[in-house]
Amino acid sequence: MDSLSYFALSWMSPELLALTALGTFLGIYVGAIPGLSVTMAVSILISFTFSWDVNHALCLMVGIFMGGVYGGSRTAILLNIPGAPSAIATALDGYPLAKQGLAGEAIGLSTVMSVIGGFVGILVLALAAPTISEFAITFQPRDYLMLAILGITLVGSLSTGSLAKGMFAGALGVLVGTVGLDPLTAEERFTFGVIELWDGINVIAAMIGLFGVSEALHQLHHLDKTIIKQKINRIIPPWADVRRYLPLSIQSSFIGVIIGALPGTGGDIAALMAYDQAKRSTKNPKVPFGKGAKEGLIAPEAANNAAVGGAYIPMLTLGIPGDAVTAVFIGALFIHGLNPGPLLLVEQPHMFWFTVGNLTLANIFVLIFGLTGIRIFSKIVECPKAVMIPLILLLSIVGAYAINNSVVDVWWMLAFGVLGYFMRLYNYPVGPVILGLILSKLMDENWRRAILSERGDMGSFFANLFTSPLSCVLLAAILFAFFSQTPIWQRWLKPKLLSR
Amino acid sequence: MKKIILSAFAGLALSSAAMADYPTKDIQGIIQWGAGGSTDTVMRSVSPHAEEVLGTDIILTNRTGGVGAIATKYVNAKQADGYTLLMGAENPQMYKVLGLADIDYSDMIPVNVLARGIPLLVAQNDAPFDTMQEMIDYIKANPGAVKVGSTGKGGLASIVMAMIQSEVDLDVTTVPYNGDGPALTALQGGAIDVMPAVLGAAVQHVKAGRMKAIALVDKESNPVVPDTAPIVDALPGLSTYLPYGPFFGVFVKQGTPDDVVAKLSEAFSVGAESEDFQNLMQSRGYGVMNLSGDAAVDFLENYRSVSSWLVHDAGFAKHSPEEFDIPRP
Amino acid sequence: MSSLPHRYPGERLFSFCLIVFSIFIFWRAYLISGFSELSSPGAVPMGASAVMVLAACIAFAQSLKTPAVEGARFFYHCFPVVVGVMMAFIVLYAVLLEQLGFLVTSALFLFITLKALYGRSSLWTLGLTLGALLVIYVIFRLIFQIILPEGIIPEREILANLSRLFGGA
Repeated sequence: MDSLSYFALSWMSPELLALTALGTFLGIYVGAIPGLSVTMAVSILISFTFSWDVNHALCLMVGIFMGGVYGGSRTAILLNIPGAPSAIATALDGYPLAKQGLAGEAIGLSTVMSVIGGFVGILVLALAAPTISEFAITFQPRDYLMLAILGITLVGSLSTGSLAKGMFAGALGVLVGTVGLDPLTAEERFTFGVIELWDGINVIAAMIGLFGVSEALHQLHHLDKTIIKQKINRIIPPWADVRRYLPLSIQSSFIGVIIGALPGTGGDIAALMAYDQAKRSTKNPKVPFGKGAKEGLIAPEAANNAAVGGAYIPMLTLGIPGDAVTAVFIGALFIHGLNPGPLLLVEQPHMFWFTVGNLTLANIFVLIFGLTGIRIFSKIVECPKAVMIPLILLLSIVGAYAINNSVVDVWWMLAFGVLGYFMRLYNYPVGPVILGLILSKLMDENWRRAILSERGDMGSFFANLFTSPLSCVLLAAILFAFFSQTPIWQRWLKPKLLSR
Repeated sequence: MKKIILSAFAGLALSSAAMADYPTKDIQGIIQWGAGGSTDTVMRSVSPHAEEVLGTDIILTNRTGGVGAIATKYVNAKQADGYTLLMGAENPQMYKVLGLADIDYSDMIPVNVLARGIPLLVAQNDAPFDTMQEMIDYIKANPGAVKVGSTGKGGLASIVMAMIQSEVDLDVTTVPYNGDGPALTALQGGAIDVMPAVLGAAVQHVKAGRMKAIALVDKESNPVVPDTAPIVDALPGLSTYLPYGPFFGVFVKQGTPDDVVAKLSEAFSVGAESEDFQNLMQSRGYGVMNLSGDAAVDFLENYRSVSSWLVHDAGFAKHSPEEFDIPRP
Repeated sequence: MSSLPHRYPGERLFSFCLIVFSIFIFWRAYLISGFSELSSPGAVPMGASAVMVLAACIAFAQSLKTPAVEGARFFYHCFPVVVGVMMAFIVLYAVLLEQLGFLVTSALFLFITLKALYGRSSLWTLGLTLGALLVIYVIFRLIFQIILPEGIIPEREILANLSRLFGGA
């Protein structure tokens, strides 16, 4: 009974309700603008809400978090510029839909599916948080390594044409991710003696360049092309559609929760893995993946919002952040005099239910704000290209600058923009570069950690691998991921197994 | 000619007037580390109080990279007018010997050294030892079997291990992590056995019984973990290095006018004394120092000499501390 | 990005450049720590660059086999002058940003590119430029407190005076 009253706390107070709404609304814009990240917004709010009551501050921050993760999909669909790395997979099928004049429908569908994903995440958080967090911390370095390798097999799904070109792009991403001072030994890698390279190449700068700038430059070819009229009569997806895609969105949400709950992995990896899983398991998409398949839009959106609930799982139960944003939340709780740690559930049980209730509320606001104002948003696509391109470029530059307040990131954005321009021209996929970049640290660090903990003895590395059930399951998943990209599975087994 | 002199005077009058009622515009605070880190948390909680005293906004910006060197260089590239503050941790004190940069806090003016952390040696619950002496005996009996987490060469964990190694020779397997947060998570999952971490980062986990405290790396025991013995009980030789620990401070560029520094010091001192800040530091297991002026300089010098010589003797310094006239502790 | 094999002029050269780049990177990766240990800092960079060399070679070989798109000219279909000019403008922007400051540089950038691409009257272009700048400035500088380079306009003094005017304090 107590928990219910804490759950409803933010629903009953008009002030808390309004703050959550405001946070969610702001969050959608923070998420949509590349370069403004949820992490950044939440940490600014820490000093801003310093003197506030802790519940008020949390409502605003939770709103920003929920809204921000959702907001990344807006620009991905409308402009092919993901607002955050977690929306990269959304752009793959969302943008083709906008090009067909279906931007309104795509945003409507992604909103509903994000909200469903969000609810699944919250539900798992409410019901199974302690169990999942105990499971999540048993991941050993070798298990994270397996997870990274599993992620790398996604290159296959992200490459549309030649696999060799996709592999090149993926390896380039991994390599770019290793630039800078090695976090484990402080050895310089590819820094050429330049101090600005110590911290490596920022993934957001690369993303804005590869997606935003290169897209804008390509659009220059079509300045005179007639503008696509957007059909905006159908925004709220019909019930039949929602029901048809419900199993897929729930499956994707579970991927999102688990990946989100693992410390060290977040919504970006979750969204890409869910996309891959959808591509593998969808028998006959109406439209092929990469050309505007609705399945390809639903899976990543459900997964990245479900990862929000997932990220809270280790944070609320153990005081271990599930991702970068929850790490800032932990700092905020400290400042407000709470002790986020394994004792939080014992000392402050109301915090748990308050957060669950507040997340639910924010998720409802995502639905409300997500489905209103789509008409105006869709008009963006109808703007003349000659006006849009300079604005997109300026926003990309400012966004890149804002990441670290440094011009260096602007240079990287530009370099990746030019590279991306030629890669697109010659049919090299750009998605795998970001995939490699996201997974690079996970792979590099855990590979070396795994070897170092065995003192360089490969024999005991494999012995431990095969005796740990978790590692064996992950290994099997990798083998299956490879196998499923072979012709035997594609032509023969997949139709048979899935037709039943 | 007259005009020029007049305008020069006017300019002078203007600038001295500007000094007198410093600050006349927003102040920029450059944080060396990323959002959500401990430096970030400390600075974001002390700044609102300093803002009240100064009567202006302090806009906080995270400029990460190069173990804090990028932020340090940035602040030193700005004007010495007190409108750009460096909010940093202990790292720059090691730049010179590790060959990371040719600048450290001795080249800047400390506004306030706010707080200091105490290192704590923790072990996973299944580890077959409970005290420092038992741990030493176990490692000696099973060379290479104990996995010790680290945060890279020059990090807190590596310096604490170097202190211990200077007294007893221990054969352990070192597994590097990207900060003590991830390492403590790995400790709970059993990936490593022992980790030297900051008291504040580990204390909640110890209290919840998720890991056990082996020794406090300090001369005396601490009320936050009253049952944990100080490391000098087992290794009395370490007392030459102690007290030792990471710290957080606010700095300005060399050449900033004295009255500006005084005003800033006063503002941050009020912030450090505020109840909120004291509570926050206590809950995180940090000791509030609130040092400015010569006291701050002395503290910084001692820290630099201890850590520089330890890494030098452990063999992972690029340059000898002698090159920079750093005295031996 | 259709899956039909087609090749624009310049693809062979681009793929060849990628091979050269990959080999250079592999050499740099080797220099990090050589073939010393599996857990050395250079291990993953070397593995990744080896894959790059291999994949770039395969892609190059494939490009030799694919037929070219008929009648395509490099400077018309692949790299029109306007793309090059735009890239140059961004470079110029990045160079001037720290000197002139955000407001001046962005206003110039937007005005010139809008005028060149859209070709409406100067007044209309100026209005759009200032409107867009205002929105970006409010979002980034005022709401999210991201300090954009000030350059020649003393923004902080102006803001301080403005807030004194309105705040009364």
